[in-house]
Amino acid sequence: MISDIVLFILAAGVPYYIFLEKGTKFHGKYIFLLSAFLLLSAIVLSLFVENEHRTSLVWISFFSALFSIYKATKTTNFYKLGYYLIFVNAPFFILFEDAGAMYSLSLLVSLIGLYLIAKFYDKNYGSANYHNITGTTLVRPYIGTFLTFYLIALALYPPFPNSLFFLSHIFKSEPNLVWYIVVTTLFFGNFFLAMRVMRETLFGRPNPNIHYVHMNSKDKAIHFFIIMLLFILSGFGFKEMLL
Amino acid sequence: MEKIILLIPSIPIVIAFILFFVRKKELIPKVSIMLSSMVVLLGLYGSYYVISNDTVIVGFDGLLIYNELSAILVPYVAILGLVIRKYATKYMWDEAGYRRFFILLNFIFSAIYLLVMSNNLIVLALAWQLLSISLYLLVSFNVGSNTAVKQARWVMFTHKGADLVFLFAIVLTYKTFGSFDLAILSEKWLEMSKTSVNDPMIFTIGLLFLIAAMMKSAIMPFHIWLPYTSEAPTPVSAVMHAGVVNVGGILLNKLAYLLLLTPLVLNIAFIVGLFTAILASLLMLVVSDIKRSLGYSTVGQMGYMIMEVGLGAFSLAIYHLIVHGIFKATLFLDSGSLIKLARHESNLPKRLTYELFWEEKIKNKSAKIFNYLALFTIIPVVVFVGIKMVLSEEFFQFNASIVILAFAWLTGTQLFLSFFKVSKSDSLKVLLALVSSFIIILFTYEFIGVTLEHFLYGYDALLFYQAATLNVSFMMSFIMLAIIMTIGWYFMYKQHYVVVSKNDTQANGLKWLFYSFLAKEGYFFRIIRIFKKGKV
Repeated sequence: MISDIVLFILAAGVPYYIFLEKGTKFHGKYIFLLSAFLLLSAIVLSLFVENEHRTSLVWISFFSALFSIYKATKTTNFYKLGYYLIFVNAPFFILFEDAGAMYSLSLLVSLIGLYLIAKFYDKNYGSANYHNITGTTLVRPYIGTFLTFYLIALALYPPFPNSLFFLSHIFKSEPNLVWYIVVTTLFFGNFFLAMRVMRETLFGRPNPNIHYVHMNSKDKAIHFFIIMLLFILSGFGFKEMLL
Repeated sequence: MEKIILLIPSIPIVIAFILFFVRKKELIPKVSIMLSSMVVLLGLYGSYYVISNDTVIVGFDGLLIYNELSAILVPYVAILGLVIRKYATKYMWDEAGYRRFFILLNFIFSAIYLLVMSNNLIVLALAWQLLSISLYLLVSFNVGSNTAVKQARWVMFTHKGADLVFLFAIVLTYKTFGSFDLAILSEKWLEMSKTSVNDPMIFTIGLLFLIAAMMKSAIMPFHIWLPYTSEAPTPVSAVMHAGVVNVGGILLNKLAYLLLLTPLVLNIAFIVGLFTAILASLLMLVVSDIKRSLGYSTVGQMGYMIMEVGLGAFSLAIYHLIVHGIFKATLFLDSGSLIKLARHESNLPKRLTYELFWEEKIKNKSAKIFNYLALFTIIPVVVFVGIKMVLSEEFFQFNASIVILAFAWLTGTQLFLSFFKVSKSDSLKVLLALVSSFIIILFTYEFIGVTLEHFLYGYDALLFYQAATLNVSFMMSFIMLAIIMTIGWYFMYKQHYVVVSKNDTQANGLKWLFYSFLAKEGYFFRIIRIFKKGKV
């Protein structure tokens, strides 16, 4: 029971960011890093600790996810979006017990990519806010491509591992009312949030008041590595799903 | 050796990967076309192998299959892809994101091949979703245009809905039948069809698959994404109208044996197909935008396709989607070239149809209308009945096809008349051309339809007709045919020969209401706007 609650909190089952956001010390970037670290701890812990999903915990995390979806639709900051997405996906980890760990790991890898994009924006445009930084696909195809990959992964589309583990778990589990509600919410929630970012920064006419900065080779290599990592996880996803 | 054919879905992905590293712009289409030709050759070889050896190619642990359906569809999609790539070489040259376009095009074709060749519900689900995301990125290709991005959102919402419904259907299928393998499932379904099955779960599964197919194939009320994608580049429109919308029909063909168990789903398919075919054809005539008109024409054709499925004519649906795909891709690609040509010439170039039929004659008497009506109604019916009597009874195994043919012909001629305005002419050539088109359609449909049926399903095809309990009798078809054609032609001629009274007589309120309903596309966007404002 205690281990379930610990995992539940670590996997972002309750929206503890509410308190952190109120403090002046905790910048969005640090909240993201903290939530990501706790989620990673939950993934590692789930390998050693017996995890049993309790419907009450699933429901709590579900309402937390709904609230996080709402919060995510109000932000245009990549850091905030990053940790909101961790909270949005928490019900999946709790509902699918150990099997949800691989899904959460894929989520984490995609979010690291998003975090690096946020850092790039922060460094070159003054903040991780993507509002008004439009038409990236047209003016900076590399950033556009990397961001498109991460967003497609987060929107739960194949061939990315998030989608593959998601599908794999739902195909092999026993559907019930909670299952239908959680699956539908996550399926659309992630999709809406990712599409919103696509619309606001990848698409649109380039803003003439902004000097769009190129990505250097080192950054490109890191993003390429993250995408390769996603594809390696996809390999595991395919294996788990089809074999 | 023949197993190499199963690599077809991966070839476009390899091409996309190679294109990512091609530096010279002019090499992008060359590489794409050259390597895509390999798919055509492999597809043709695969078809030859399947037909000549009367066998199927299965591989990757039974996940992929090259069967009779693939033997027909893969070469068709591959050749279509080649034509579109060739066309896009020059058409897209000046567009920003030339490389991106070819890469995305390869992804969407890969998804279509995977969907056609899948022998497993999970692979089918992956292909189904890959198609959605590729389509979204292609429709929003012109990322600088707000309209394009907005239209792409409509596409995505509908397709995401289709994805979810499809996933639920798969989950329930696995829970009920215990397998994802389509070959095993089909055998199981065929076996089950020999006894009476009355399971609500099977009905639910069938219905979910039908809804998913309807959403992807733009069947009403999920149609709105298709006519509103006019901002997409012309080659993308060609892919959408000739390839993407067909996946609903392909899916239902793959699940034909499941639908044997749920005749009610087939009946629902027939009714929604009929409703879509009629309403979309009417909307096609009313909307003012030419691209939207073409979009509604496709929606109408998809309606016919679903109708055919509803009648148990699965193979006819495949034939329909291929023929319609070729026709619509030609129209779109031709329209693109025409626009480009018109930019260089002050007058539009004369079309063949224009030169053949366009003869403006002012002397049109209202009495002639009835002569035309008689001519257009009676001749095709007499010809048809004559053929029916002359040829053997087995030649027409499904009477319902008469209705479908009548609808198809009616829409085709209406489209023809609307586009080229030949209805103003009373040339005998127009009449002969239209009547002969009907006869040609009739014969090709019957000959190829029956041949295809034997090739795809053999004797099992008869089971589908038996399952489709809403089978239409010959007499019913005959009456419906006459009524529909009469009404269609009456409206057509009334539209062009109506005498507009200059007196201050009041317009027919009901007629205006109906017209306004159609012109505003069923008030769809007004309803959406009201919901957005939160007035309801």
